[in-house]
Parts: sequence; structure tokens; C-alpha cells
Amino acid sequence: MASFSSGFCCAITGTSNGSNSRWSMASLRSALPPSVPLRPPPSSRFPRMAVAFQPKHKLALRSYTGLAPLQSLPFPIASPEFSSFSHCFKIIDNGGRVFAMRHGRRVPKLNRPPDQRRALLRSLTTQLLKHGRIKTTRARASAMRKYVDKMITLAKDGSLHKRRQALGFIYEKQIVHALFAEVPDRYGERNGGYTRIIRTLPRRGDNAPMAYIELV
Amino acid sequence: MSRFMEPLIVGRVVGEVVDIFTPSLRMNVIYNSTKEVANGHELMPSVIISKPRVEIDGEDMRTAYTLIMTDPDAPSPSDPYLREHLHWMVTDIPGTTDASFGKETVGYETPKQVVGIHRYVFLLFKQSGRQTVRTPATRDHFNTRRFSEENGLGLPVAAVYFNAQRETASRRR
Repeated sequence: MASFSSGFCCAITGTSNGSNSRWSMASLRSALPPSVPLRPPPSSRFPRMAVAFQPKHKLALRSYTGLAPLQSLPFPIASPEFSSFSHCFKIIDNGGRVFAMRHGRRVPKLNRPPDQRRALLRSLTTQLLKHGRIKTTRARASAMRKYVDKMITLAKDGSLHKRRQALGFIYEKQIVHALFAEVPDRYGERNGGYTRIIRTLPRRGDNAPMAYIELV
Repeated sequence: MSRFMEPLIVGRVVGEVVDIFTPSLRMNVIYNSTKEVANGHELMPSVIISKPRVEIDGEDMRTAYTLIMTDPDAPSPSDPYLREHLHWMVTDIPGTTDASFGKETVGYETPKQVVGIHRYVFLLFKQSGRQTVRTPATRDHFNTRRFSEENGLGLPVAAVYFNAQRETASRRR
């Protein structure tokens, strides 16, 4: 088996064909440099994209500790919260601070000011209702769910006031009329949860984690 | 074997096209001899113009298999009233060979996506005998469950699917 990176690509493209059966862990371990005895600290400095892959890749990624020594710089001494017990840092290249918990975060900001955020969510829900399945980043897909469910709930009610509220949110009125026509048959029995998110491979240009979001 | 089934269940191939089954064979679908189809991955329309090479494992060359390629999101995933659209059917494939050894009852039709992101599902069924499978009359409104019941095929033995969407002029990788 050549370098680890080729094995890594193997794990991505051949998941459904049981690529694990083609090479064994023993042969892989012997090919790698001896693994670091020091366990990386819980606020792990793995690149964030490693965490975002599907669980079935974890078996291949556990040997990834071979690269940890490259990043074994100590924590930045200047950080004031280093001594605090409950804060854990991840080091992100663009200077953003990411915590391991989500305490008190109510609104996903999507790196945009409020007016642009609202416009982005309106256009994403319009496109999803028009196409049925779209591919965006995971943060946008999970932020959109609330608005798509809201629109479908308005359509389930069906009154004129709700129709006008939907027309004020969705950019194309044909879509609103089509939505109000077909939602009662399609989602009549379903209570909530009108979308499904399927995570997929990261985007090539910036390695952003992507997802398909589709109407159930 | 749930490792093979999870992407199919999450992508709703198991709910909408077939019922839950245990895969017993390995099937490789390769377009242009480089692009292998993996569950849920996306392929460009330029890649899927001509028919792929489908290799199947099996015990011996006496058992016959049927390969079906359908699109459950026809004409658009938001409103699939033509579910499903049949793109390709090859019957009497001997085990351990590939699809070029079978009889192509429904010729390969290049997938043309008008709206949205479509799933294209490859299903492999085991035939009870040779030449037992009847060709359907139309490509639209194809129902895999009904077809397998009518021809005595039972549950599939292998399945894989990929996504594809229309390539617009401005679309970058």
C-alpha cells in the first residue's frame, strides 16, 4: 500500500463496495510511521473537515494521528481563557473562535448581516420549493429547515391571509400558488419535518462541507 | 451488511423504489472506465452520456441476473408524477460477468435532467430462469416493485445510486 493519502481517497470513493476488505489494518499500520505515544488533547487540533466525514470513515481516520506532530505547537500563550476549565479552542486559520458547545446560540448568522441573511434564506427556500432537492453547504441547509417548514405550514392552513404571508416571503408567486395547491395532499398527514438533509462530499474549491436538502 | 444499506436508506432508495433487502452480491458500475458510481455521489451529465460498464460478482455463470436503471425523480424531484422513468434494462446476465453479456431489452437512454437534482438507481435482480422477464411497454410510470412481482424477481440482490443535475453554462465544479 503506497502512502496514506491514496488509501484515504480509496476510503471515500469505494465506500459502498466494502473497500475495507481490500486492504487490512495490519498492512496499513506497518506502512505508516510509528504512531505518536502522546494522545492529542480533547480539544483536538485535527482540521475540522476530518470530523465532518461520515462515521464509517472513522476506522481509516484513526490512523491519521501520524500527522499530529506537525501541528504540535503549544496553545497560544496569550489566550486569556486557556486556564479556564470549560472552554476548549479549535485553531481555525481565519481567526474565528469555535467552541465545542452551542450554549445560548439561537440564530445561525451565516456570516452575513441581517438583511442579506434574510434574503439568502428566502432565496434558498424558493429554490428548494421549486426544484425539490438542492445542494448547499451544511450550515445553510440546517438554517433553512425552519423557513421551509414555516412555508409548508402556511400552505397547509390555506387561507387568504396565509397565502399573502407566503407571497411576501417567497420570491416567485407561481411557486406559492403551486405550493398551496399540492401541499394538502402531499403533507396532509405528516406533522412537521418536511425536509431531509443528506450530508455529502466537501466542495472542491474551499472544502466546505456540503449537503443535499430535499423535501420529504 | 448494514454498511451497504445505510446510504440507500438515507437516500430513500429503499423506501421509494424497493423494500429493504440484504445485498448478497457486489456490483460495480463504472462510467468512462474511470468514474465509479458510489452511493449518493454526484456525476456530471457529460460523463453519463453512454452506457456504463457494470460488473457483477456471482457464484457461477449459470444464474441469470437482470439489471434495471431507473430515475425515481422524473420529471422533477419536487413533483415526481412520472415516477419512475426507466432508463436501461438488461436481462439474462450470466453471473461473474458484466452487463455486455446480457440481452439489452430496453436500450440505454441518456439521462436528461430538466429540473432539480435527480437520483439514478441501478438495481440487480436474480432471475429464476433464463428468458423469464418480460419487457415493459413504456418507460414512464415504471414501478420496480410491481415489475419484480410480475416477473418473479423478488427483492434485489444489489443496488447503487448516484445524483445528477443539469449542467448550466455558469456551473463550476
